[in-house]
Amino acid sequence: MIWLTWRQHRRQALFTLVALLALAALMIPTGLMMRASYADKGLAECLRVLNAVQPDPGRAGPCSRALNQFADQFNSMSLLGVLFLVLPLIVGLFWGAPLVAREVEQGTHRFAWTQGIGRRQWALVKFGFVAVVAVLVAVVYGLGMSWWVAPLTGAAQQNRFDVFFFDMQGVTPIGYTLFAVALGICAGVYWPRMMPAMAVTLGGFIGLRILLTVLARPHYLPLETRAIPIEGTIGEPGGASGDWIIDKGIRDAGGTMVLPGAQAACGAESARPAGGRCPPLEEFGEGAYNWQLFQPADRFWLFQGIESGIFVALAAVLLYLAVRRIRRVA
Amino acid sequence: MDVALETEQLGKRYGKRWALQDCSLRLPTGRIVGLVGPNGAGKSTLLHLAVGLLRPDAGEVRLFGRSPYDNPAVLPDIGFVAQDTPLYRDFTAAELVQLGGRMNRRWDAALARERLAQLGIPPKLPVGRLSGGQRAQVALALALAKRPRLLLLDEPVASLDPLARREFLQSLMGSVTDSGTTVLLSSHLLADLERTCDHLVVLHSSRVRLAGAVDDLVDAHRQLVGPRHIGEPIAGVGTVVRARHTDRQSTLLARIDGVVDPEWTVHDVTLEDVILGYLADGETTVTRTDWEVPA
Repeated sequence: MIWLTWRQHRRQALFTLVALLALAALMIPTGLMMRASYADKGLAECLRVLNAVQPDPGRAGPCSRALNQFADQFNSMSLLGVLFLVLPLIVGLFWGAPLVAREVEQGTHRFAWTQGIGRRQWALVKFGFVAVVAVLVAVVYGLGMSWWVAPLTGAAQQNRFDVFFFDMQGVTPIGYTLFAVALGICAGVYWPRMMPAMAVTLGGFIGLRILLTVLARPHYLPLETRAIPIEGTIGEPGGASGDWIIDKGIRDAGGTMVLPGAQAACGAESARPAGGRCPPLEEFGEGAYNWQLFQPADRFWLFQGIESGIFVALAAVLLYLAVRRIRRVA
Repeated sequence: MDVALETEQLGKRYGKRWALQDCSLRLPTGRIVGLVGPNGAGKSTLLHLAVGLLRPDAGEVRLFGRSPYDNPAVLPDIGFVAQDTPLYRDFTAAELVQLGGRMNRRWDAALARERLAQLGIPPKLPVGRLSGGQRAQVALALALAKRPRLLLLDEPVASLDPLARREFLQSLMGSVTDSGTTVLLSSHLLADLERTCDHLVVLHSSRVRLAGAVDDLVDAHRQLVGPRHIGEPIAGVGTVVRARHTDRQSTLLARIDGVVDPEWTVHDVTLEDVILGYLADGETTVTRTDWEVPA
């Protein structure tokens, strides 16, 4: 049975391997290039300088320039990353959906299911094989992507929680890929024709991903808030710390929101007229502060775990439904 | 009498339409059974129900006493060649033989290889590139290699030219006569079955019209020619299957149960006469009103 699965899908496996190698040929050199430039410019040290509570003004200038330079040079690279967002979907469409649908469309299920093996066993072995291969592939490109994207998230001050950057690295691609494959298989069992099965996979995957990303992900864990005094600040509090800022605003001393969605800072004293007070405090009153609602940066891997956990669980449900339904396929 | 396949009030429905209805049959073991009927009569449905591919919507079907649906235990007993002989087209014949060995506990690979070698099927060519006749032979060899107690073939010769058709049926007969395998073979062409089958089931419009041993069927029917007949009972005639009339004379196909009224001239009939009589009797499912043409 495993032999049949391998023999039937070895061409697909070969294509996948070739595609992965081609991607590696593209990603490894660009990744190395980014890392070399990152090290050359001393960006790791720079980030430490810029993220300090009171940046050293002497070093902040050159460091900002170096970061900007790096960002200009490599920001377009993140477009390459988008490729990896669709990879799970492609695996689902071309590995998952045809698994049963193609068999039924070509009538070969009548051959396969009248041999000595019951179709439930047939389904378990096939689904298992494809799921395992999909996970292996996803591990390779998920972790590979984490390595590749690290300089970008670091230097370009791209938050690792940002929609694309969160989704294309770490362990989430494993969850997405397994889910896409399971959805494809399940769709193929319920609508055993290639086109409908692929359409359901496409729509279902994109729909659920968007829904969860927008509505659920920010609330996987209780949000934290913090108040940052405006008094005495030079620059606005940024996202450099890697926290995922969900909402922000300026509140007055009493805690009432006076300007949602904005942050303020006093700026350098030299830029003000002599004896002038901190402008935002003039505007919003003494004691006004920047308010942030956020998920702390150190929850990144926890969030990765939760997100992939959800998709793995959904995949398990879909596979269970598919195995249960397989005996009804005619 | 051992029974290979038994159905009772068996029915299968697709949506509102019954593809098979009220089907009660007993097929004894060791027979070559022909399943005949026009396209869409329900032949494939019956075969799929028999091998467990479909779940009955009414009644039951038993294969050597066991229900085949969702029951892998019956699989070793059946060899099934589906319509259009579906095989993995990118597999070579040799690989398919190997595959059968991995998917069946009882598997006579030597038998399959012997047959395929005899027929000159190239072992290293993907079966998708073989001719229709060769592919059908590969499918048959695979089904026979399971050494099944019941071999079911769904329109196995439909796509073959007349020569390949005869060769296929001959080789089929050659291989099952000694082993005592029961064969259920469907076709919409009577000529395919006439020479090979000793038992017959006629399906039409999703119902069984006629079933029985070929000799009995031929024996039980006669063609009667006599004065114009308007439906009154005739001595010695059980049922009138089909009647044709001219102004003065009627020609009947009838099942007889005794000595026929001497007013009628009695002729022997061939199997074909009998079957055509029953097929013509079945009403079509599509009516003229469905087509919006005057009746």
